[in-house]
Parts: sequence; structure tokens; C-alpha cells
Amino acid sequence: MTAVIETESLKKTYGKHEAVRGLNLCVEAGSVCAFLGQNGAGKSSTIKMLLGMIHPTSGTGRVLGHRIDKESESLLIRQNVAFVAEDKRLYDYMTVAQIVRFTKSFFPGWKRDLEQRLLAQFELPLDRKVRQLSKGMRTKLTLLLGFARGCELLILDEPTEGLDPVAIEDVLQIVVSLAAQGTTVFFSSHQIAEVEQVADHVLMIDRGQLVLDAPMDQVKEEYRHIHAVFPEPVEERDLRLPGVEKVQTEGRTVSLTASHNVDSIVAHVRMLRARSVDVLPVSLKEIFLEKVRARG
Amino acid sequence: MLLYKAWIETRVRFASGLIAVAIVCIFQIEQHAWLVAMWAREWADPKGYHFSWMPLGIHEYGWYLWHYLYDNYLQQVWALFAILFAFGGLIRERSGGTVLFSLGLPVSRRRWLFSRLAVALLESIALSMFAIVVVVIGSAIIHQTFSLQQMLLHTALMIAAGVFLIAFGNLCYTLFPGNYLSLVLTLVLLGAPYLWLQTYMQHMRYLGRSTWLGYFDFAHAMAGPWQLNWSSAPWLTLLLTWTLTAALLAVTVVHGDRIDY
Repeated sequence: MTAVIETESLKKTYGKHEAVRGLNLCVEAGSVCAFLGQNGAGKSSTIKMLLGMIHPTSGTGRVLGHRIDKESESLLIRQNVAFVAEDKRLYDYMTVAQIVRFTKSFFPGWKRDLEQRLLAQFELPLDRKVRQLSKGMRTKLTLLLGFARGCELLILDEPTEGLDPVAIEDVLQIVVSLAAQGTTVFFSSHQIAEVEQVADHVLMIDRGQLVLDAPMDQVKEEYRHIHAVFPEPVEERDLRLPGVEKVQTEGRTVSLTASHNVDSIVAHVRMLRARSVDVLPVSLKEIFLEKVRARG
Repeated sequence: MLLYKAWIETRVRFASGLIAVAIVCIFQIEQHAWLVAMWAREWADPKGYHFSWMPLGIHEYGWYLWHYLYDNYLQQVWALFAILFAFGGLIRERSGGTVLFSLGLPVSRRRWLFSRLAVALLESIALSMFAIVVVVIGSAIIHQTFSLQQMLLHTALMIAAGVFLIAFGNLCYTLFPGNYLSLVLTLVLLGAPYLWLQTYMQHMRYLGRSTWLGYFDFAHAMAGPWQLNWSSAPWLTLLLTWTLTAALLAVTVVHGDRIDY
């Protein structure tokens, strides 16, 4: 598979604060890649660097084969990338019709049929000024302006923030449908349930560093909680095996989080004479919380 | 479309500029008869004021228009609005929260800058042309005639030198923090020395004195001599102004390319 987004040791500092610390990313063409992280983890800074809005302090990156640190190439990137920012503010003095016409003029591949469908689906009034729209309506308009661009890569920063559950479902369906047509989607979100619903790859970032980079199927299949009860308390070090991400002991009860190698870990736990061993699936939310807390 | 956006953003300012220019021109045309009568009385009175320009003011309507409009009030109003037309851009959009939408479009920062400046320049030109229309109509009403060619030449000179103000103002907007604070700072930084020097140097010229401050009298460079032609045009000043304008634009471009949004 071809990589549409690649970064190598990407770094961004603001004064003494390191927002992004040596990030190595790879997003493959045709994937729906979720970019997870806490507030201030470096998600928006990374996205802005990919689009030439901020300049990397060091490191390199490519989007659709174009270098992100050159203004001339950044322009080529933005011709083929539809970006929806976290702060979904638009020119409030324009009407819906004016801003659609304005945005359309920059994208030769504009999908007029999708534009018309979304205008109707989102019930956006063409003659109303952007400043008169509610927050939810403005978000829908911003998403329409991103989706209809007909670009090969869609970068969405918190796309569903401020939307009601019905609108969120609509947006996720559109994302899935665009992905099915071959558009690569790279989106950041705090809504982990949404990520589980649509993403096929997960990137997790914490304090500017990548802490998880795996296909969603692998995460769902390989991440497991292993609960074991022993006749006597066991040492935590006895359970430090390849694949064990986290160990929690409470008296004779041990709780492990494994990212891979589950069968061997279970065999090892049984060998330590555990009375009972339960293997349970782990939700993405739990993985996220554990990754973040483990580094806390 | 970028020009369209810049036009929508500045059209209220442009309409305000038209009103201001109309007021200044109509007021000066309306004042002509009264001022000429007063100067004639003073000139005839041995104890009255006797300035060297008075005969010109009394007998040459063209001089009157040049002095009050192109060497003073019209120029000041035009300069103010030229600076106001240039106000805006990506830095301002950052305060308004729309900069990420703008930068997400396949438009270079330079194209954003120059399209906005192009609209500011076109609006400034339109404003000065509107002044000519008002003067032509107003002068016909008060039965005064003047050289339209001279008026066009002075307009051209005002614009040619005035591009410096647009470039300088634009650089200030890029460098200064805040939204309206940057506008106020720019107006103070540009307006205060401009107006003070204009007033001071006019006074010195009335007294027939010269000073080194004359080299910085940008307002006089914009007005030129009242009888403007190919040979009397301040070419050296214009060349210097254009060089400085190009330098200011270059600094703005380089600085703008480095800004993180």
C-alpha cells in the first residue's frame, strides 16, 4: 500500500514547550485512520504541520508525496486535501450559498451532487448568513465544504464536535461512504465510540509522541484483559512478559493488559498456578486510558 | 474569488470612504467664494495678512483645488482610507478564527496577501476618481473652471506615492498584535508623523524657509507642485517611494511565510 501521509522525527516546539516530539507516522492510502490523543497531546499541531499552517521545528514529512515544509509543495498538498479544522468558524459575513460558491471555485473536482444532497440532508438555508447559523449548523456547513471538495485525502479535526447524535451518525455514514469510494480519511476525535465505528487504523499520541500505531482489527483481536486469581500473592516482576502492557496486583488478584502474545501470557499465568484465569476483550477507550495513564 | 472576498470585507469601508471624500470635496467647493472674498479683503488691506500664495488663491481656482484637496484634506482622507482598505489579512483572520479555513484552501499566503492589497489599491483608485467626479460636478455648480488634466495628474501622483502607505500599513498590521489594537497603532504610527510634518512643512514654506525635515514630508511628495507636468513631477521621490514600497512588501511576504497559525 502507498503511504499518503508520512512523517519522520517530526518535532514542533513553542518556546520551551514541546508540542510534538519526534513523531513517525504513516497513513496508508484508502484507510480510515483515527488520530487519538488527549487535549494538548499534539494532534492539531501535527495536522497543521501536515498542511503547512505551522512550520516543523525539525524532522520531515510528506503528504501525497509532497514535502510539508515547502510552501510551494504545501500548495499542491492543499489542492488534493480537504481539511476541516477543529474550530469550525467560517466567514460570518457570507451567506451559505456564497461560501459554497467561494469554496467550490478552488476545487475542480467539486462534487456538486454531494453538495446538493448534503444541503438538503443538513437542511442548510442557502440565503442565511453564516453568523446567523447555530453552532451545529455551522459544523454541518463546514463538513459539507470539506466533503464536497472531491479530494483524495480528507483530514478532519474533531469532525463531530457540536453535533447531535443523529447528525453524528449521518456524518459517520458519509465518512464511510467516501472511504468506500477510495478517499483516505485521517481524523482526530475524542469520541472513541465513533472511532471504533468507522476507523480501520488507530494512531494514538500522547505528549507529542506516538504510543499506538495499529490496525483496528489487530487492536480488537489482540488487546485483552487477563484476570487471574492466585493462591498466594505473586510478584509483579514475574508477570513482565513480552506483550504485557500493564500489570495491576491487588493481593492474590492480578489484572494484566496485553497487546499481543495473549496465549503465551495465559500459559505463563497458569504455570504460576493461578486458580482462575479470565480473558476479556478490551475496548478502545480502555486502551486509550491505559496508554495515557501509563505515561502519567 | 479572493478579490470578491476582499471586496465583501472592505465594501463598508469603501462606502464610508466615498461619503467622506464627498463631504470634503463639497465642503471645500462650497467654501471657495467665501475664502476668496476674505483673501481679497486681506490682500487689499495694507494692515491685513499678505502671504505670497494669496494672489494664486484669489485668481486660480486650480491652485485652490490643489491646495485644499490634493495638498491637504482630500489627501488626508484618501490616505486614511487607503490604510483602512489594507486592514485585514490572515493575521486578522486568526483573531476571528477563520484562518484555518482560509489556509486549508489551495491558496498561497502570498496570493492571499496580494489579492487583498490589489483590492485595497483598486478601491483607493476608485475613491480618488470619485473625488474628481464630485469636483467636476461641484465646480460646474459654482461656475468655476479648472484643468481636468491637472486634476488627473495630481490624482495619479497621489496614488503613485500613496502605495507606500498601503504597504506600510499592511506591514504594521502583520507585525502588531491584537485585532483593532494593530489598526490603532498603525494609524498612530503612520498618521501622527505624516500630519505633523505636513502642517509643519506647509508653515515653513509659507515663511519661505527650508529644513532637512522636508526630505520626510511625504504628504508634499503626494501632492507635488501645483502645476504638475512631466518635468515637474517628483520622479526621484517616486522612485524612492516605490523602492521602499517594494522593500516593505518583501519584508511582509518573508515575515508572513514564517508565521505559524
